[in-house]
Amino acid sequence: MMARDEALAICETLLGHVKSAGAEDAIVDVQNTQETHARFADNHITTSGRADNVTVTATVWVGQRRGAATGNDTAPATLKQLADEAVQIARVSPVHREYVPTLGAVTYPAERSFAAATENVDLDARAKALAAALDVCRREKVTGAGFHNANASATATATANGNRRYFRSSEGSLSVTARTPDGTGSGHYAGDHFDLGRLDVEKIAREAVKKALASRNPQPIEPGVYPVILESQAVADLMSFLTDALDARTAEEGRSAFSAKEGKTRVGEQLFDERLNLYSDPMHAEMPAAPATPEGVPATRLSLVKGGRVEHLVYPRYWAQRQKREPSPGPVNYILESSAPPVALDKMIEGMDRGLLITRFWYVRLVDGRSLMLTGLTRDGLWWIEKGRIQRPVRNLRFNQSVIAMLAKSNVEAVGAPERRSPMMVPALKLASFTFTSTSDAI
Amino acid sequence: MRLPLVSRREFIATSSTLAAAACLPSWAEALQSAPTDKARVEAAEAALAHAATLGASYADIRVNRYRRESIATREQQVQNVQRSTSYGMGLRVLVNGVWGFAATNRVEPGAARSIAEQAVAIARANATLATRKLTLADADRVTTTWNNPIKRDPFDVPLETKIAFLLKLNETAMAVKGVSFVNSQILFVDEQKYFASSEGSRITQRLVRTYPQFSVTAADRAAGDFATRPVVDRAQLVGYEYVEDYPWLLDAEKAGNEVVEKLKAKPVVPGRYDIVVDPSQLFLAIHESVGHSTELDRALGWEANSAGTSFIKPNDAGKLRFGNTIVNLVGDRTQPGGLATVAYDDEGVQAERWHLVKDGTFVDWQTTRELAPLVGHKRSHGCLHCDDWASVPFPRMPNVSLEPAATEVTLDDLFSGIKRGLFVEGRGVSSIDQQRYNFQFGGGVIREITNGKLGGIVKDAAYQSRTPDFWTSCDGIGGKALYKLWGTSADGKGQPGQTNAVSHGCPPARFRNVTVINTGVQS
Repeated sequence: MMARDEALAICETLLGHVKSAGAEDAIVDVQNTQETHARFADNHITTSGRADNVTVTATVWVGQRRGAATGNDTAPATLKQLADEAVQIARVSPVHREYVPTLGAVTYPAERSFAAATENVDLDARAKALAAALDVCRREKVTGAGFHNANASATATATANGNRRYFRSSEGSLSVTARTPDGTGSGHYAGDHFDLGRLDVEKIAREAVKKALASRNPQPIEPGVYPVILESQAVADLMSFLTDALDARTAEEGRSAFSAKEGKTRVGEQLFDERLNLYSDPMHAEMPAAPATPEGVPATRLSLVKGGRVEHLVYPRYWAQRQKREPSPGPVNYILESSAPPVALDKMIEGMDRGLLITRFWYVRLVDGRSLMLTGLTRDGLWWIEKGRIQRPVRNLRFNQSVIAMLAKSNVEAVGAPERRSPMMVPALKLASFTFTSTSDAI
Repeated sequence: MRLPLVSRREFIATSSTLAAAACLPSWAEALQSAPTDKARVEAAEAALAHAATLGASYADIRVNRYRRESIATREQQVQNVQRSTSYGMGLRVLVNGVWGFAATNRVEPGAARSIAEQAVAIARANATLATRKLTLADADRVTTTWNNPIKRDPFDVPLETKIAFLLKLNETAMAVKGVSFVNSQILFVDEQKYFASSEGSRITQRLVRTYPQFSVTAADRAAGDFATRPVVDRAQLVGYEYVEDYPWLLDAEKAGNEVVEKLKAKPVVPGRYDIVVDPSQLFLAIHESVGHSTELDRALGWEANSAGTSFIKPNDAGKLRFGNTIVNLVGDRTQPGGLATVAYDDEGVQAERWHLVKDGTFVDWQTTRELAPLVGHKRSHGCLHCDDWASVPFPRMPNVSLEPAATEVTLDDLFSGIKRGLFVEGRGVSSIDQQRYNFQFGGGVIREITNGKLGGIVKDAAYQSRTPDFWTSCDGIGGKALYKLWGTSADGKGQPGQTNAVSHGCPPARFRNVTVINTGVQS
């Protein structure tokens, strides 16, 4: 992985070139990435590989006209060509109406989301770990498919106004889907951590296999409105649609779920259950993130929803300047948690009279941006609960459900402890109602 | 509140002055150095030779260079102009029947030997995880060069011409009373690929794709309501002539009128409808329900952890009733303008056209050299693809298209006899399960059909069906004159995830008694 001095030296060289070519303002960055993976299916290794790359980008302004060029070669002559290209694009572009001067010097805290073990994957150790996972599958006579991934990156950035920053990050993950040979059962489980050494490979395999065996021979139920328990993966599968909608600009332009009548926004409204808090925090112990936004704004804890009330929308630098506000110090991750003590999943099940337990969702899409109505399907583990016990597996269902309505005060019955589902930490949720519109034959 | 706008006059005056002062040089000479033909050949040969020395029984390498230019605008201003270049090489090796892969952005013999060592080490380390012997179908040894035909290279067109096109398009849509916002983008991709294998093939290809798209929004801020009409999925494997020849401004005006009507439209009444689906939406139904279900790797469980499996089983070819007997669907990597069209795939297999569904029966799979022998085929259909030099090549969808009717069936013919129906145009929300049974599709614009006549727009409508039921309910297919090619530029699959650009040709078609839901009832 490219070291700080080497990466920033390339930035300085590139910055010198763009200034020489006539740029009045500029931001340049160098990113070195390393991706290592192993994929298996039908209890057999399928593909495995490694890819190394360096990406260099120069974004410049000449008379407030903007140009940007990206390459992946750090040879000195190439850097000059890249700089010239960016400046030439700027010269023939119209005035960039949303220009904001690049940041000056800022002191950032050190990043906490990088582990050397994730960068330097031990191939033999990985093979042993995956062999153990496949043994779990074979012992239970199911077929395992999965993906082991380890990514590491180092990114250096420099601006013409004196900002210099360098952050590393890493992420290791494993997901396993186990299927029964008769094709009637399927289970999925996944885990991730910035430190590959913290992945519990065998546990992930065991959980997937357990779900596959318990989901055999599902029977159909009528689509309709049911109480549900969403495991944390299922919550994560829906939450990104809500977090994506927290952009202040689209809300203030009147084309977002957070737009209100008469040109206002829904900031301050009690849209969600009063126990729910949603925030971003780069220093979170389990889910640390870069200490700066992609624009370089120092990241600190940013409360988005507090006590179920929308507290802040997200203001990038341009829109903040235009609206005479400070740019948001995030988000760089998302943590959804309850202010009440967390309720364990088994307690949620015990407390359910009748309803569904959902492992995860698949092919989730935004149907209506006004209400954050989503559609998608359950997948890899769906069970009917009655009188506090899991009774039987059921056929998958398609849902059409607003994520805002899902988290409303009247609908949230219990909240679990947040679990890491990168780039989020989200809890399991027990909900009074969730709308399903058709059944699926898919296993 | 609307943003301050750049006046059209200001833009033209500015760009003309600057164009005279600082004309942007052509890409061929301007951007970063790319590996020369000699350098990439030397690197490829070094990698293949070193892999063989290290014990690989087979190896292939792709030395690829990608140039991309994207321009994004909204209303009357340019949001972003970006050019990028990426080149590098990815080596795939087979060692004792186990694949290994390694890739680097450094295209030179030393780096080539290094990735050969990495790829072989990966394959050897994973040997204990292999449970079956891998066999590759035969492929011809080929040395050739192919470029997709284009009339005008988009990378030679001045930037200001492209910007002016987008701003004119925005201006046209914004001129419709009630339109609040327009976002438009254009992306050009130049993919230069060099393939070399240990079996002796050496193939050079250049593929140029042009991706125009825009979206029009009408917002009623007093009521806190808005509607959007996306016009996307128009990308093709063509040059800049596509921008110049197609009547984009008519589309922009039409989209503006439609979104204003859509904002005030009445909600759909849920129920059963006969629907006629335009190529601008049917292409997506084909993609999801036919394109993905006929991928053999999915049927074998290789995508079980990600994209899913298929409702079609590996031994179903020639036996499974897929749809009505009028339904014929083909895989085709030779289709002119098709986003997945090539001369040779990413393991050197020649592109071809073949039936996936013939007279309503599923008859064949999408295959690669590794997959073909698993269903008793001696040759691959040429479906191996990687989206980047750094990506592992794996099975990807060819262009999959619905054949038109033998006679000239018109749109009015399809509407006739429908008492209560809907006409679905353009992309709405799409979602389908992991075995490609249950799907739900919306539309950009959905109009009522009453007693064979087209009526006004309804909003909040989406249709749901089950793939075999849907294609069995197809009782009308348009003729050749209505056949159009649409495509998706970012079809996701695999782990690590890769995207694939793929087209689907079809005329409009009629489907009977389909479930339609109202998606706007919750809040």
